[in-house]
This record gives sequence, structure tokens and C-alpha cells, in this order.
Amino acid sequence: MTNPFVTNKKVLATYFIVWFFIFLVHLSVLKFFLNIQLLTSVLDSLFFNLIYQVMGISLWYTVNFNSLDNYNTVKIFFNHIAAAVITSGLWIAVGYYIMTHVIIGNNIYNEFLIKSLVWRFLIGILFYTVIIAVDYVIIYYSNFQEKLLKEAELNALVKEAELKTLKYQINPHFIFNSLNSISSLTVSNPAQAQEMTIKLSSFLRSTLSKNEKQKSKLSEEINNAKLYLDIERVRFADKFEFVEEVRNECKELDVPSMILQPLFENAIKHGVYESLEKVTIKLSCGMEKEYFKIAVENNFDPESVPRKGEGIGIKNIKNRLKLIYNQENLVTVEKVKNIFRVTIFIPV
Amino acid sequence: MKEKIKTIIIDDERLARDIIKIYLKKFENVELVAECSDGFDGLKQINELKPDLIFLDIQMPKLTGFEMLEILEEPPIIIFTTAFDQYALKAFEVNATDYLLKPFSAERFAEAMNKAIKIITQIPPGKQKLDGLMKVVEKRNEFLDRVVIKHGQKILIIPIEEIRYIEAQDDYTMLYTDKGNFLKQKTMKYFEENLNSKEFIRIHRSYFVKLSSVKQIEMFEKESYRVLLHEGKQLPVSKSGYQNLKEIFK
Repeated sequence: MTNPFVTNKKVLATYFIVWFFIFLVHLSVLKFFLNIQLLTSVLDSLFFNLIYQVMGISLWYTVNFNSLDNYNTVKIFFNHIAAAVITSGLWIAVGYYIMTHVIIGNNIYNEFLIKSLVWRFLIGILFYTVIIAVDYVIIYYSNFQEKLLKEAELNALVKEAELKTLKYQINPHFIFNSLNSISSLTVSNPAQAQEMTIKLSSFLRSTLSKNEKQKSKLSEEINNAKLYLDIERVRFADKFEFVEEVRNECKELDVPSMILQPLFENAIKHGVYESLEKVTIKLSCGMEKEYFKIAVENNFDPESVPRKGEGIGIKNIKNRLKLIYNQENLVTVEKVKNIFRVTIFIPV
Repeated sequence: MKEKIKTIIIDDERLARDIIKIYLKKFENVELVAECSDGFDGLKQINELKPDLIFLDIQMPKLTGFEMLEILEEPPIIIFTTAFDQYALKAFEVNATDYLLKPFSAERFAEAMNKAIKIITQIPPGKQKLDGLMKVVEKRNEFLDRVVIKHGQKILIIPIEEIRYIEAQDDYTMLYTDKGNFLKQKTMKYFEENLNSKEFIRIHRSYFVKLSSVKQIEMFEKESYRVLLHEGKQLPVSKSGYQNLKEIFK
């Protein structure tokens, strides 16, 4: 880490201001308590404090050298004692030398200066202690900031990775079964086989391209879902019908891409696959308070024994919405009589 | 050739059945006697028509292909047709002649058919299972969620939640549920492999108990324990069973 007293202007300015106050205090003590002439007091205070001020900046390097992470406490303690003694000793030696050459012939002051050396030495130690304490705080604080920054970056990465894994993936079972239907249609009904090939291609293409994007329009999502349902309709003939009740204000709504697909797959899997009766799949969208409310529902055979494993798609949607909108409970699942309904709430 | 080979197609998709029908036309000594679109119907037709050969999808409404086979007493020769690759592995063993992954070609279909015809025409019935059959095994990514039972003439599907405890009965197991006791033609090992061990605890060589039906565990004699169920029934706990319980309650 570089010396903040050199690189950071704010820190440097604060440092100067503090020293200016020390200068004033020092001056006042000499002038008013010890009755030393004003000029002598000014010079004494100025030189001594100026010297320590310059030395104080370089103390950063002793702190940086004695990093708390690298050495044990005892070693650091003794290093600092030695540094403090040297710094303080150097300080009073230089100060004494300058003052004896600037103030000549003032015996009272000279006598005072010699007597005060012990005190000055101790004050030097005190300065040393305060400065390195401040240095350590600065290091700790900036490390802490860095850590926070890194943590935030890490969180963003984790979130991105999570979103990636939660994204919709085409069910291979669906693809192979559709291909099998096409294979069968090529013999019995080539025109329909062609139609289905095109639909399957469109669905795959838009699914692949949508997965690149984080969000898309609800109307696009619905179109994609319709392609999917059309393909399933070929496979399951007249086993289901699709009803759409989407208010116009919903169509332009931005939603996480491929958010509806798992809901329709769920409806097909647990409604149509497991039922011998005709199933109605209904999509509705409207406003409710600060949310757009999108619901997919289907009737199911209440007699059929539910297979577990359902809900992985829904759980993924829950987690995805939570990550994207930073809100819990954006998905509700209801089972009323023979109606299964999943509702998702998109914050406005 | 004395008579035609009787065949049933069991698949919930019409188009999937169609392609098999189309492919079957090339085999003159094969007669399609029924088409079924779910496992229950399949079961009924097999028992009534006694086919020699069935084409069986796995994922179907009501009863999966595997569940259907579990309760079939004398299964015919089976050719699986499925899009599920994951079913081709591990844990749940069924004898099958071949396994067709959808979509399949006419050549691949003919290969499977020739294998089946060879077995049906050359090997006397009864011995068929022993020779030349491959094992199709279901891979369970999840724990068992329901058990299919043949109870008299009825087929029962029992959700796993309804089972209170399971008791070994020689090579079979007795399931004690809220609705009565049912014999299942599966071993303790099967349940050991397919039950969620956090939900069902093996407390004894002969017992699994559902955790939520346990009222308390009590000391019986020194170093010996028993489990008391809510219904009042007591089950013995073996040493390793006690370890299993301790693991759960840790």
C-alpha cells in the first residue's frame, strides 16, 4: 500500500492542520506558562514541530514494514519501541542542534532547552505512538474497504452464476419425443411432419436465443409458449386446449426470459401426461397493486397419485425471481379442487 | 410357424404407436391385437389377450411402464420404446429383449424384432427369461414416491407417505399403511436402495419405520430398544438399527 500522506491530499491536509494546532499549543505553553520570549517560543515550536511533521510522514514505512499479518505481536512491539526511541532521539538531537545555532546568547532559554530534552523525548515517543496508531487504523480501514469491495464483486459473480444455472433448459425428453412424432408423421402425413419440423425449429431457435438475454417482452414469451403448446398438441392430439386471457397492458411488460415455459411444461406434464380427460390450460395476466400478476393454471385428475420431482421448475423460477427482483414470495402455487395454478408476480 | 405372434403396443402418444404399426407391417407373422394409451389399459389387455410381445413406453399416465411390469405375473417379451435415456441404467431391473430409443429407424426396429422373434419361436415359453435377454434398469435420481400393489383383482397405487412401516416376509415385504396391509413382491434390499433414508429408517433386519409415525424410542432391556408407534404398535430395534436412529436424531 502506498503512503496515504503522500498520495491522498485530504489525509495530508488533515495532517497539516493537526500539526498546526500542536504548533499553537506548543507555542502557548512556552509563551504563557514558561514565560519565554515570543520570537524564541515561535522558533522553538516551529522547528521542533516541523521536524517531527516531516519525520512523521515517513513513519508510515515502519508501520507498513511491521504489518500485523506478517509478524508476531512481540516482534512488532520491540520493533516499534526501537523505532520510537530512534525517531524521538533523532528528533531532539536535530531540534537541539538547530535551536542552539539559531538562538545564540540566550542563557535562560539554553538552560530551559537542556532541561526540557527529557520531556521532549517523551513527547516524541507519544507522537510516535499516536502516528503509528493512526497509520494502523488507516491500513485496517482500507483493507476492510477492499474486502467489502471484493465481497460485493464475489456476490455479483455468484448471483450471475446462480442465474445461469436457474435458467430454463430444454427438456431433452420433449425434443426426442417430438422428433419421434415427426418421424412417424413423415410416413402418415408428410405435410404435418413438415409443419411440425418448422415449429420445433422455431421453438428451439427462440429458446436458444432467449437464453442469451436476461429479459424479454411478455408477448414474445407467450408466442414461444404457443409454439411449444402447438408441438405438444400434435403429440397429444386433442387432449388439451389453451385459453389466453392477457390484458393489453401486459403485453409490453418485460419479464425474465423463459419464465413461462417451465409453467407450461408443468401443466403439460402433470395435467396432460397424467390425465386421460381433456385438460384446459389457461394463461392470464393483469395488474394487482404494484404487481403484474401472471397465472398459468390447468385442471388435473385428482385421482392420479402425484409423482414427486414436480416443482423443480417452479423452485427454479422462485429463485430466479428472487435474485432478479430482490424480493421473496413472488411465486404462489395453489391446488384447489382439480385446478392447479401457479402465479408469478412481477414488480412494476 | 404354428401361429402368429400376438403383439400389443402400449404408448400414450398416437403418433408413437403409428410408427410402430407402420414398421410392423413388414413382419407378416406378427399380429397386432391391441393398442393401449396408458398403463392400466395395458395391464388389462395383457392379462386378457396374453400377447407374446409388447412394445412398452415408460412414461405414461396412471401407471408407468416399469410399474406395470412390477405387477405383471407372467410378462411377455418386452421391447421398450422410450425417449428416456436415463432409464437405461441401474437399480430397477426388468428383463427386456431390446430397448429402442425414440426416434428409431426401420433397421433398428427390425433388429429388435428379429431378436424377439428368435426368442419367441425358438425357446419354449417359461424359459424365455433365462436366455438372450438384456436387463433394462431404471435409474432413480429421486427416491421412491409411490408403490404399485396388486391387491386381489385391483391395482393400488400407494403414495409413500401413507406407509407407516415395512416388514420383511421371506422374499417379499409387507407394507403397513393407513388403509391396510399390502404384500409387495420386492425385497428389503429394494426398499433399502430406493427409500429416502431420512424418512424411512431401517431399525431392524426385518423393519423399516417411517420417522413421522414413531412416537417414542424406549429402552426395553439393557442395551436393547424398541420403537413405539403412534398407533400403539411396538417394533424391535437392532443394534445397527439403533445406530441408524441415533444418526437421524443427532
